[in-house]
Amino acid sequence: MPLFGGHARDTVLLRLVVSRLLFIIPAGLLLITFLFALFHIIPGDPALLLAGDNAPAHIVEAIREAYGFNKPLPVQYMTYMLNVLQGDLGVSNFSRDPVVSLIIPRILNTALLAFWAMMFAMVVSLSFGCVSAMYWNTGVDKAITVVSLIGICTPIFVSGLLGIFFFSVKLGVLPTGGFNSWQSLILPVITLGAVEAALLTRMVRSTMINALNQDYITTARAKGVAELVVVFKHALRNALLPIITLFGLGFGNTLGGSVVIETIFTWPGLGRLMIESILTRDLPVTQGALLFFAMTFIVVNLIVDVLYAYVDPRISYD
Amino acid sequence: MDFLQLVKQRFARDRVGLIFAILLLAIYLVALTAQWIMPYDPMKMDLRAVFNPPTFAHPLGTDQFGRDVLSRVILATQVSARVATAAAVIGLTIGTALGMYVGYVGGLAESIVMRLTDIMLIFPTIMLAIVVVTIAGPSEWGVIIALAVSWIPPFVRLSRAVTLSVREELYVEASIAVGSGRWQVLRHHIWPNISSPIIVQGTLTLPIVVLSASSLSFLGLGVQPPTPEWGQMLNAAKDFLRTSPYLLIGPGAALFIFVLASNMVGDALQETLNPRLKQRK
Repeated sequence: MPLFGGHARDTVLLRLVVSRLLFIIPAGLLLITFLFALFHIIPGDPALLLAGDNAPAHIVEAIREAYGFNKPLPVQYMTYMLNVLQGDLGVSNFSRDPVVSLIIPRILNTALLAFWAMMFAMVVSLSFGCVSAMYWNTGVDKAITVVSLIGICTPIFVSGLLGIFFFSVKLGVLPTGGFNSWQSLILPVITLGAVEAALLTRMVRSTMINALNQDYITTARAKGVAELVVVFKHALRNALLPIITLFGLGFGNTLGGSVVIETIFTWPGLGRLMIESILTRDLPVTQGALLFFAMTFIVVNLIVDVLYAYVDPRISYD
Repeated sequence: MDFLQLVKQRFARDRVGLIFAILLLAIYLVALTAQWIMPYDPMKMDLRAVFNPPTFAHPLGTDQFGRDVLSRVILATQVSARVATAAAVIGLTIGTALGMYVGYVGGLAESIVMRLTDIMLIFPTIMLAIVVVTIAGPSEWGVIIALAVSWIPPFVRLSRAVTLSVREELYVEASIAVGSGRWQVLRHHIWPNISSPIIVQGTLTLPIVVLSASSLSFLGLGVQPPTPEWGQMLNAAKDFLRTSPYLLIGPGAALFIFVLASNMVGDALQETLNPRLKQRK
């Protein structure tokens, strides 16, 4: 029974999915290698970095023993690789907590933020983009274009700070930060989502305009098909392909933007953990956070590729 | 008609685009002459005059150390313009050179470079920048290098694509037949076709680079105090939102205007290059 709508397509798509999944393994290993190199490229003796500048020599030596810095590089590399693959990402330089225990709760928070922001962005951009394209060059279109332009040009931290100023400081209806209630979600999600929405609206609009100018649309209209059906059933379906790619890229953007949002709203997420770890030179945590972020991007990339192939009707018969 | 003439024509007609182009040039002018036009010393602290709201003497107020915000914004214009332009130009130069070369010679070099490019494009700018800053430490140069590196892949892709299409042209084949060297072909035939799209892409890159640079400084990973930078000033302002919200105005507006102007100019240039056909409804 065909999975993807056609036996020939099934094979092609399944092969694609499997090959992409297999790609993740070398990608992950490469990533771990890269992170290991990161730790050792940083100028300075790693034992000294951990011990602090004023530590007495025997403490530094003890640290060097304990972490195995005196072993040859390949041995250190293998140890690191094996540890990571078993889920041991080391301990934080400062709190001595296992890195994994610090990261896991944060991931969920960031995922929540990114998910809702992306939902917001997709809904807004699809609706306003389509409306904009339908009423091309009218007042409505121009208004939407101007608003999305302002959204693109306003940096996230400016709109975030303005949001905090108006809704928390002045009106007092929303919390300034942290994650204590569902109200804490509103400002960060909308701020993060709005930026992405502005970007995506513009692109959805131009994609839809292109789609609506195709000849088959003229035919459908000539046949007497209702305008709404024309737009949503015919044009949108064909515009879906580039739009999906845009959404996939948009999700990557959103994750990147979440780092800034988490800082502004003191959201207990992975991004803020990573930044703080960099500022405090807590390298094991930085490595762990980077690992998770990078793997997420790779996985998202893969999903978008597969989705793209699925939606593309041209990928079928050999 | 060559690109420069098209651009001049376009700005003659497109008033809005022209205004933004002039605005952008004005910003760069401010950046270049910052040292002379600042009303006060941007680093001079005056602890008797902290947190002054905007007045005639200090149109944008004073910050937590009593420094004049307007002067700091002007100096920050120089810093941000310098960082963004340097990063964009470096990324553009290296990316284009690489793309042109591998597009032309093909083979193993091309495969390796394109694979690396694809991998780098998976990760958003900010992630790559964070990695570089982790290694190099937070600093202005760290930001420039980080952003330049993250912008190499798009330019590699673009210049390679153009090179591939030009490479097949008859005049290139003829040129090689009469004995032109690789370098000559690249310079006389490939480059003229590449220059316009690259310039357009570069102009479109500028606003994104400025935003990235400011974001990095906002996070504390970029330009370090006391050197003023828009993102960094906003980071400081966020702690005083309740009492001194006017601290947001200067750097926020400056960033917004720079990004807006460069976006509009980039759009205008892009339309000059690839005019959208007049669409009937």
